[in-house]
Parts: sequence; structure tokens; C-alpha cells
Amino acid sequence: MASATQEPPAASGVEAPAARVLRAELGPQLRSVADFRGDLAITVERDAWVRAASLLRDHPQLDFKLFLDLCGVDQLDDDTDEGLRDRYEVVLHLYSVTHKHHVRLKTTAPEAAPDVPTLTGVYKGANWFEREAWDLYGIRFTGHPKLERLLTHDAFVGHPMRKDYPVGQRHVLKSPKVQLMDVPADSEHLLVNIGPSHPAMHGTFRVQALMDGETIAACEAEIGYMHRNFEKMAEVRTYWQIIPYTDRLNYCSSFMNGHGWALAVEKLLGIQAPPRAEAVRVILSEFSRIMDHIIAIGTNVVDLGAITPFFVMFRAREDIYELLDACCGARLTVSYVRIGGLAQDVPEDFEARCRRVMKSVQEVVDQADGLLTRNPIFTSRFKDVGAMGKDEALSWGWVGPCLRGSGVAYDVRKDHPYSGYEQYDFDVPVGTVGDCYDRYLVRMEEMRQSLRIIDQALRKLPSGPVIVDDKKVALPPKSEVYSNIEALMNHFKLVYDGILPPPGEVYGYTEGANGELGYYIVSRGAKHPWRVKVRPPCFNIYQAFPSMITGALLADAVAIIGGLNVIAGELDR
Amino acid sequence: MGLLDLLKGKYVDPTYPGVHAGGDIITTTVDAVVKWGRRSSIWPMPFGTACCAIEFMALTASHYDLARFGAEVLRFSPRQADLMFVAGTIVDKEAPVLKTIYDQMPDPKWVISMGVCASSGGFYRSYHVMQGIDEIIPVDVYVPGCPPSPEALVAAVMKIQERIKNGEQAKSPQGAHRLGISGEGAIDRRQRRAAWQQDDAARAAEGLPPRGVLALRVLPTETDDHHHG
Repeated sequence: MASATQEPPAASGVEAPAARVLRAELGPQLRSVADFRGDLAITVERDAWVRAASLLRDHPQLDFKLFLDLCGVDQLDDDTDEGLRDRYEVVLHLYSVTHKHHVRLKTTAPEAAPDVPTLTGVYKGANWFEREAWDLYGIRFTGHPKLERLLTHDAFVGHPMRKDYPVGQRHVLKSPKVQLMDVPADSEHLLVNIGPSHPAMHGTFRVQALMDGETIAACEAEIGYMHRNFEKMAEVRTYWQIIPYTDRLNYCSSFMNGHGWALAVEKLLGIQAPPRAEAVRVILSEFSRIMDHIIAIGTNVVDLGAITPFFVMFRAREDIYELLDACCGARLTVSYVRIGGLAQDVPEDFEARCRRVMKSVQEVVDQADGLLTRNPIFTSRFKDVGAMGKDEALSWGWVGPCLRGSGVAYDVRKDHPYSGYEQYDFDVPVGTVGDCYDRYLVRMEEMRQSLRIIDQALRKLPSGPVIVDDKKVALPPKSEVYSNIEALMNHFKLVYDGILPPPGEVYGYTEGANGELGYYIVSRGAKHPWRVKVRPPCFNIYQAFPSMITGALLADAVAIIGGLNVIAGELDR
Repeated sequence: MGLLDLLKGKYVDPTYPGVHAGGDIITTTVDAVVKWGRRSSIWPMPFGTACCAIEFMALTASHYDLARFGAEVLRFSPRQADLMFVAGTIVDKEAPVLKTIYDQMPDPKWVISMGVCASSGGFYRSYHVMQGIDEIIPVDVYVPGCPPSPEALVAAVMKIQERIKNGEQAKSPQGAHRLGISGEGAIDRRQRRAAWQQDDAARAAEGLPPRGVLALRVLPTETDDHHHG
């Protein structure tokens, strides 16, 4: 196992509270504590796995209530016995909203018997994550209520994310799974299949509901209809080749995914982009956030039967497309960021263009506000529908506008500022009830706050380069590549060998349009990442959907799913 | 403008079969009128799964306005549609669903494969992604791009109109022989060349030209000079 993480001496005076508490409680069952680039990682024995997670959640000094992510890692190392003994790792990421700190908890399982106790009793959100780890790595979670494949299809053989599974090995599925749940033979309820090809399911979600009249008595969700293997592809690509793949995670706001990826890799490398690049990233990220919220609100009301707001709001999206097009030549999937900065500088009339777009965004937001916010038909479909409580939302691992709608003011931009967000003055809107209407109001207000941020960023847009001056990270300018041999060699080396980060692992996170978008990168110092795990905001959010709509009206389910803004590319990766 | 004016006025395509206009009477064939009607009022069904579906929205929204081509009546039920836009990556899990939806569309029907993922799997050469929807359904028009620009889609719709006019329609999945093949990360050129040679030999045995080569007429050379011939 290659890892540069250094173990600090036991019980040193400056140890983080999580490590201190676990060391005191678990004793020898705590295997190691590591700190790399400010990320605290604690490894415990398998037997203490559930206990450690419960301690982290319940200890008043720790209070890790927000479940972020759980994933498997294959540490296959053919050369050593140790590689086979500790082949599979299970990695849990948690966050405390009160103390504002992260922790990474790890345990290992041998190749021969990859069994790990389940965490579903501790965090509600662990359910699908464990199913995913079973599906992709074959790690068996003992005690899990329903350990079945989640992302791949039923005819699939093997566990594709294992290092010894060939990247392209496909299996043909002839017929889809017809029934997702058991229906009692004497049941008078009607089984209704919604999706995957259904207008309200936005393409690729499938829900099967047992209907008692108009009410959903029970339901089951199936995902994976868009599982296009981002994570496996990332293991055979170099760090910058992954940028176009990130664009296609949440394709409604492509730029923000690339922004998050660049920041995560920059954290791994220990570098920082120049101020001008960071300011432009903030501006375009905020425009992307607006764009995403436009889609979320626009398509949500289309599902309810109102097409006018969609046409009204899409006008602003088209203007933002034009701005992105002027910056990088693409409308939707932009690939504009680079590790260490941006691909090229913005056009000369950037500020004027931004001001024009801001004006048009302001117009359409006001118009949509007039059309919807006090509209009695709209409010009666939205108010008190799909309410989600604060604690439950945290346990599911909700983030972003949905979590803020439930009244938790957690925003990465405020709590852990990146790219210079600390310089800008903006508010974080929160809801009170946690229903669809609150989520809608939060999104509307966030668009206005984004305009405020853009305005401030444009006022003090610094001049200077847009990419770091580091020959091991950034490509030399084309003019030099064609005129001097040194630049040509640098270009060649960088394209062939890629960026070579130090061995280690980081969790980089940003506030995406749907909430905390995290990238967990494990590097072994090679040009390809050893493992990339995306922490997709809507995976946790959508996981709660079946329980939210159980007992609700079928028509309400349509209103709820649009307001959650689940994006298939990000959900299934 | 009524149908009669349109048919006999300057909008009549002189090459259009069977239209003879004179006075207030037009004689034509039912077939010609039906085709004219069909191509002027396409009812598309968007099978949108991914990023391309977002760009498809841009196509239908106010700026690009698909209504200008008479194709704005989006149907989410395959029973009411005659053109399917497959917009986005189709993974192996989704494949049987796509096939079912296609089969449910009434004949005649056309398919646009929007973007490289639908056309060839795009840059997802991996374990769960279909390497082109033509493994299971016939495709009439492939649109490149990731995602294609709305202008390219407008061109694709016009191509479909042309095909309707000419009575052309893809009948069988062009890539059925590729069903389930491995989407390897990197193309091994030697392997590919060997596969092509095998395919060419198999077709030659049936007396067919190699796949993808148009049947060009070879002009007889006038001289025996091989260097300049």
C-alpha cells in the first residue's frame, strides 16, 4: 500500500478532537491517524467500525451528524501479501455542521473475506452507498437490509471497479427487471411503474409505486440507468483528461464540476491558481449556479403543467451559454478550467458581456417571481408538500439548497471559503418548513445572491496570468512551443507523462449547484489517479425520495422530484 | 395560405412526384400528399437521458424554436410519435427500455441519434455503456457533437424531412453485429485491422464489396501508363 501519510506520535498535544476521542475510546482498535493536506484520516479495525462511527456521530465534542460519503477502494498490490490482506478499504466521510470539521474514517477487509459490518443503523444515508460498494467492489456489508446491485444491471457478472476487472468488459442485458418489489397475492393495490422513460422522471429514474387509489402505499426506486462509469474511466485517464468527464456529471452547470475537480487536484498538488483565474472561476461558477437553478425551477413547473415560466427563464440560460461560448467556445460542456488555472484568458469585453447577462438574469428572475411566487395554483401544489426535517435531512446526507430549505445554513462557500469567496459579501437563505415551496424560495434567492457575488467579483477583477507558472502542471503557451525547444520538451513531457502528484489522498469539496460536490482522490504518485470517488450531492438527496413520497399523492411525487433537482449524470456517474 | 395554394403556387417543388396543378383542381397521389403532411408535422419523442437532453431543451425553447420546422409537438408517449430523438448516453441497463420504446412507436418511424454517446458510446468506452444505439435499433441520422449544437439538430431534422420525402427509412439496426462488444479504453489498431480484414473477406465470399465502400464505377483507362493513369 503506497501512502505518504505520516502517522503522528500517539497522543501528541495537538491531536484533532476526533482522533483524541477515538484513541481514548477504542484503544488498540484504532490502527492509525493520518493528516495529509489538512485532511484528518483515522483507520480503525473492522470490529470497531460501527462503534467508531457511532462515537463520531454522538460524542458532543465531535457531532458528525452530516453523512457525506461512503465508498470502497481496491488497494490491490500484487507484490506483497499485505496488499491481499488489506485489499479492500471502506472509506467514510463525515462532517459536523456545528463544529465545522470533516473526518475520514477507514477500515480494511481482506481479499478472502471482504465482510464489513453495515452502518445503516447509524446513518440512514449509508444504505445506497453500501449497495454501491457491494456492486462495484464486492464488499459484503453484513447486516445490510437489502444488499443488491444498485448501479449495474442484473445480467452483470463481477464487480467492475476492482482493479483486475477490464475497463471495457460489457455484459448484455436482454430484459429489464419487471418488478422491484413484492406484491402480496391478495393485494388490491395497483402496481404502477413510473420511468425510466417518463417525462417527470427526467430521463433515467425509475420508481415503482404500489397505489392505494391516488395515494402511494409503498414504493421502491431503482437507479443506474445512467451509470456511465466516470470513476472507472478516471482511473485510466490523466488528471487533466478527466476535466471533460467532470463536465458531464452535473451537466446543467458543467463549469462548477470542473472548478471542483481543479481545486481538489490543486489541493493534492499543494498549489493555488492565480487570483485572476480564481475570480473568473467564481464569476462563471455563479452564472452556472443560476443556470442550474433555472433548469431546476423551469422543468419543475413544466412537470406541473406550466410551460410559460420555462420559456421565460430559458432566455437567460441562452444568454449565459453565449457568455461561456465567448470564453471557451462551448455552450454546455465547457472544459474551461485547467489544473492550476484556466485554459485561456477571458475575452476583452468580458465585463460588459457579464453585465448584459446579469441584466437579463435579473429580468427573468423578476418575471418568474411574478409568475410563480404568489400564484395560488403553484403555491397549493408546493406548500407543505414533501417536508423534510432538519435532523433527518442531515442523516440522509442532504446538502445544498435542499438542506438549506430544511433550515440548516450549511454552505461551503461561507463555512469553508475557497477561490476567494471570503472576499465577497452575500447571504445564505434558509427555509423554515423544508417543503417544496421552501426549496423553491431558497433557489430563487440564491440566484439573486449569485448576482451580488458576480457584481462584486467584476468590480475587483484582478489582472495578471490565468494559470500557474509551473512547468510540471501547466502547458507552456503555444507560441513558445513552436519557437523554443525547452517549451516543446515541457509540452511533450506534460502531455505524455501527465501531472504527477505526490502519493496521498485528499477530499476536495465545493458548493455545487445541488450542494457539496466532493472529490475523493487517492494518488499513488502515478499519472493516473488510483481512485476517484465523486461525492454527488443528489445521490444522498434522491435516496430519501422513496421514503418522502410514501403516503403522499402520486401528483405530489412529481412536484417533489423536480424540486430535488436530481441530475442523472451526477447520480449514477 | 391554404393547402391548395401551397400545392399549386410557387412553393410546389417541381420535382415532387404526382403533383399536377391547373385551375382550382389538383391531381396528385395520396402518397405524395401523405408524405408532404408527414414531413411538415413531425411529432418527436425525446428519449433524453443526459447532457444532450439539456441541449435538446435549448432546441425546443424560444431561441432556436423547433416549431419553425413543424416539429414542436413533443410527445412523451411513443404511441403518438413518429420521430425519436435519442439524446444522451444509453447504458446497457437502459438498452432494453430503449428497444421497448422504439418498438412501441407506430410505423413509419425515424430515429435521430443525437451526440456521440448515442452514436458510438462517445468517450465512455467502458463496462456499462452501449457503444452506439444502432446495436439494437435502426438509426436514420447520426448527429456528431458532445453535445451537438442546436444548429446541427435543426440540420438533422431537415435531413429527416428529406428522408420522409424520399420515402427512406432505416429498417434494421446497422450495428447489430457489434452488440455487447467490449468498449476497450484504447483502440488497438492491429486488432481493428485484423477484424476489418476478416469482415472484408467474409463479405467478398458473399460477393459483396467491403463495408463502407461506395459502389464506384471504375472508368476504363485510356492509356496503359500506370504511372500517370
